[in-house]
Amino acid sequence: MAHYYDIDDIIMEGELISVSFHVAANGVGLDPGSETNCVEQGSKVELPFWLAHELHQRQAVSINVPACFNQKTRKEIQADAACVDLRNRCLYFYELGCKIAPMVGDRTIGSFLLYTFTCRYKEVLSKAHSSAFVVAPKFLTLLTKEETQLYEAARSSMAAFRKWRLGGPRFEKASILGKKRKPND
Amino acid sequence: MAGQSDPHLSVFSAAEVEFLAEDEMVEIVPNMKMGPLNFICGDFGPFRPQIATEVPLWLAVALKKRGKCTIRPPQWLSVEKLTQVLEAERDSPREFQPLPFHYVEISRLLFDHARDDIPDVYMVRSLIEDIRYVRFSKVESGLETISGRTHAVKLKNLSAMEVNIVRPFVVRTLQAFYKHDSPQMIQHPDTAANRPPQVADRGPRRDLRRR
Repeated sequence: MAHYYDIDDIIMEGELISVSFHVAANGVGLDPGSETNCVEQGSKVELPFWLAHELHQRQAVSINVPACFNQKTRKEIQADAACVDLRNRCLYFYELGCKIAPMVGDRTIGSFLLYTFTCRYKEVLSKAHSSAFVVAPKFLTLLTKEETQLYEAARSSMAAFRKWRLGGPRFEKASILGKKRKPND
Repeated sequence: MAGQSDPHLSVFSAAEVEFLAEDEMVEIVPNMKMGPLNFICGDFGPFRPQIATEVPLWLAVALKKRGKCTIRPPQWLSVEKLTQVLEAERDSPREFQPLPFHYVEISRLLFDHARDDIPDVYMVRSLIEDIRYVRFSKVESGLETISGRTHAVKLKNLSAMEVNIVRPFVVRTLQAFYKHDSPQMIQHPDTAANRPPQVADRGPRRDLRRR
């Protein structure tokens, strides 16, 4: 585990993905739809990635391709990559894709990820260094975790430079000056 | 290292880059008499009134603050030179003009501490700003060409501060592209499994700017 202490990596592994059981499992209570505490053979269950990964290694389950890598999403990405709300579909789109690609045996996921990142990267690039003063633009809500980190890296270094160029603390505004007084005060 | 925002990404903060720039030499005209100064970084002086001598920028600024000298602005920091540079920057969309490596920092230090020594200081200042904007938009358009096959970026004539601004973004971008374009992720159908990851040949190196 290269990222043992990486909090994003840990949160990412909590993503729910759909799996099909090859074997029946007794007394686990994983399947909320079933009346008993068992999982039937062949039933589809949503499991967090870390559990699915372990069960997959023991060949107890097979992993279905998550919805964010299905044909519909791919068509939308091809149409206009920058406008697709990937954050809503899967916050850890790229990280999950990288981990899940070898497990589902779908070789097109890798190139799909690269294509998506290449297209969306240009959008991040064009916005990141220029819109330093715009507060939370709408486009930020579409970005995945990785893209947000990229955007933040550019924005914060540009903001640090602007601050330095204005002369640091000499021109810092007193916090009270920016506030508007309420009429009933 | 104080003033550093994120230790993993940006190696220097803007203030640290400015600190490095203060070692650049600059010509001063003292108005006092003083023997030579012997420092670890070298010997400077002797200082005689109206006789120009070369000192590091930090020393020049310190003397200037005490009213002991006037600073001679460097050759490139004049309206004619900068106008030429700005025109050349606008005319060649794929190239950066050679400017001193620390031109952003030196000009800011001189604008702050020696504005009475620079002729047409407002004009010079706005020219520097314009040049910086033009160059930065070129950097951005150059970064658009980064793709999965890029694993190094060459930026000729880019200055210290400009590199420092884009460093966190470029490093993350290259890391992401490297990850997504790795042979494990982009598999070829015939040689799918149990092939050792190859890193030797990942396509030609891409120049950000063609020379």
